[in-house]
Amino acid sequence: MTAVSQILLLISKDVRIEARSRQTLGLVTVLAVLIIVVLGLGLGGRPAAFDATAVLWVAYLFSGVLCFEKTMSVERHDGALAALMIAPMDRGVIYAAKLISNLLLMFAIAAIVTPAGVLFFQFDLSAAPLQFAAVMAAAMIGFAAVGTLFSAVASSTRLQGGLLAMMIFPITLPLVITSTQMLIHLFRDHEPIGGLGLGILLAFDAIFLTVSWLVFEWVLEP
Amino acid sequence: MNAVLEQARPATREAAAAVAVRFTNVTKRLDERPVLRDISLEISSGEFVVLLGANGAGKSTLLKILVGLLPPCEGSVELYGRPMRNAEAATRRRFGFIGHQSMLYRDLSARENILFFARLHGVKDAAARTDEVLRTVGLFDRANDAAKTFSRGMTQRLSIARALVHNPDLILADEPFAGLDARSTEGLERLFARLHGDGRTIVMVNHDVAQSLRIARRVIVLSGGRIETDRPTLGLRADQVLAEVNGL
Repeated sequence: MTAVSQILLLISKDVRIEARSRQTLGLVTVLAVLIIVVLGLGLGGRPAAFDATAVLWVAYLFSGVLCFEKTMSVERHDGALAALMIAPMDRGVIYAAKLISNLLLMFAIAAIVTPAGVLFFQFDLSAAPLQFAAVMAAAMIGFAAVGTLFSAVASSTRLQGGLLAMMIFPITLPLVITSTQMLIHLFRDHEPIGGLGLGILLAFDAIFLTVSWLVFEWVLEP
Repeated sequence: MNAVLEQARPATREAAAAVAVRFTNVTKRLDERPVLRDISLEISSGEFVVLLGANGAGKSTLLKILVGLLPPCEGSVELYGRPMRNAEAATRRRFGFIGHQSMLYRDLSARENILFFARLHGVKDAAARTDEVLRTVGLFDRANDAAKTFSRGMTQRLSIARALVHNPDLILADEPFAGLDARSTEGLERLFARLHGDGRTIVMVNHDVAQSLRIARRVIVLSGGRIETDRPTLGLRADQVLAEVNGL
């Protein structure tokens, strides 16, 4: 069995479990929408482009942390992770599959939360919807790369979610700042994305995807 | 039960030529506390070995090192002549592990769980093999029920199905009888006897000395991370072994 087919097998298992339990997607989407509503009301309903993108990021960050925690707890419950660790496959395969599962969940949540944010804030995305999606996707890949790695670390401790947020928020700060700045320039100043900002996002993704793949084996504890 | 075990012996003798497990001077420390001290041990193919010892003696740690869930601090572990450190896929396919936990997905059905692990191990005709192994453990009628609806005994049988689905040569079981009622225990004893009769090597951690002497062919008593006793069960008395387990 090739690594690709093993990754697909693990992802299909995650999707099946999520479809069966419907725990993560429902809970996380409600949380993300609540964040948008609460922050939106606090900001007065119609914030500037900066506020709208920042609020969306806050919703993505907290819902992402919950996603990472939930998808890893499926493996921790009843010790299924140990069965994966002793299976005839590279442990990097477990990381890759969990990363893609987390990304699928985050994209699904973004597909619901972003229109909710756009409607609530009357945030006009029509000027550059594809660029918006590209920036957010590039940032989410890096965020999920870090989150998937650290969820494996945090899941073996009692603190779990709290510790996970403390670990990944500081590390992903460059993603949040860079993507928010890019979106402000895009929507407020009507400047196209590219150059330094995109370089930082892609470099972050490449570094953390590679490092996480390599060190995942060492952070796993049965 | 004895008749079944008697039938198992010839297969065990025939397969006994190769060394299935070899520990060489293995030491393991957890938080600087020594758990295993300079363990050297060989288990031949086809043997049925029970590891006994008081709590904290190092039995479960020994099994975890054997399957590669924990690395040894010193020494080496080989499975069928291949090192377990960074073991290749072919070596990993040769054992099945039954742990303290079920190592299953509670939201998936029994069939989905076993089919998943069959495919992960590259089993040919995984669906047919899944049904076969569910029949072996007596869960075929409940194959479509979610694992979370199963009793402790049924979960343990499903866990055994997971460990057997890729037809391993070596079965490693960490207290497989824990929490089972008398009927489930008897059924599981029969299953292990049958697996041993098929020529498989079994290494089991257990707490019940009398049961261990009844079902196994060799007993190893661990005490303080060292091998205290290693001998055939034939002729051993339970009180004698119990005294060794308790360090008397």
